Amino acid sequence: MARAGGMTNAVNVGIAVQADWENREFISNISLNVRRLFDFLLQFEATTKSKLAALNEKLDILERKLEVLEVQVSSATTNPSVFT
Amino acid sequence: MQQLGPERPAMTFDEVSLERSKSFVQALQELKNLRPQLYSAADYCEKAYLHSEQKQMVLDHLKEYAVRALVNAVDHLGTVTYKLTEISEQQSSDISTVELKISCLSQQILTCQTFADKEGLRQQQLSSRTTPRHKKHYILPSPIHKRLENISNLPKDNRSSHVQSMPLPQSYGVLTPKTLSWHLASDNSPAPSKESWTSLLVEDSRDRNVTMNSLPPSEHGVPMSLSSHLQAAKGNGTSVKWKQDEMEAKKSLSEFKSFDKSVRGEISQPPPRSKNIISALFPRNKNFKPKRVPVS
Repeated sequence: MARAGGMTNAVNVGIAVQADWENREFISNISLNVRRLFDFLLQFEATTKSKLAALNEKLDILERKLEVLEVQVSSATTNPSVFT
Repeated sequence: MQQLGPERPAMTFDEVSLERSKSFVQALQELKNLRPQLYSAADYCEKAYLHSEQKQMVLDHLKEYAVRALVNAVDHLGTVTYKLTEISEQQSSDISTVELKISCLSQQILTCQTFADKEGLRQQQLSSRTTPRHKKHYILPSPIHKRLENISNLPKDNRSSHVQSMPLPQSYGVLTPKTLSWHLASDNSPAPSKESWTSLLVEDSRDRNVTMNSLPPSEHGVPMSLSSHLQAAKGNGTSVKWKQDEMEAKKSLSEFKSFDKSVRGEISQPPPRSKNIISALFPRNKNFKPKRVPVS
């Protein structure tokens, strides 16, 4: 009887260990996916920052070009006799 | 213009961009709302596992919920990133379009500037051709120029003798500048002198074929030159030439104050504009006693 009880306990311990290992595997999978999600977010942030910086630079260049054009057009409007 | 479906009407570019931005904001808001939901779900699962008797069932449910929550979060995050990428691509395309338009404007302005520059250069060239290049000081009217040429053809001996014998006025130096300054002075002189000068020009234009051979320059107009004129005129007998010379001599004499008053009084009177100038001159000159100067 004692031996049967001992074997039952061993089986239960074995089952518990196996369940624990499954849980740990599940948790590791979840944490791995969360880390991959975090890496994706970091990469997405860097890419978006570089794209926004490029857009900002382009906008600055366009703004300067527009200022130059505005000055040229204003000078042309003030001296219309040049084009007549 | 973009058609989203048979039910929705066609939308303009601004409406499409507005719709995209709205969807992005909505997706971002939903992603933000996931955080409290996950926190509340985690608290519930923890309390249920602690207080419940069927822990394995709670654990199984908790595993399923965790997987679904993770998938939901990834879905939301993917939606947000996709919409943000779409908006950034649209803005970059808009910026490239604006850049093209600005480059077109700059090219148009550049062409206008080049056209204006070329037009200005063309007008400058035209004006340079039409306007005189030299100063008025060096430009003489044609009859005066011809007279100067005739004077320059005179023998040098006569010129030099008169230059040495006569005291030169201050404004005179070389032959040609004297003429120029005399002409300028004649331009600024009062009316009678100008009229006499115009009369001279008229006579000169009529008698252009007449050339002076042995005449001294007119700017040496002093009594001595007049006497030499008269002597030469008597010797040669060319009435037309001496008419011009006497007019010039009278003209030069009338403009300078340094000469003798008696001579000036006799000679300063402007000659009449009629053709019979010699007849008007000779009666006057009979009273005048010219000094004889040896001419080498």
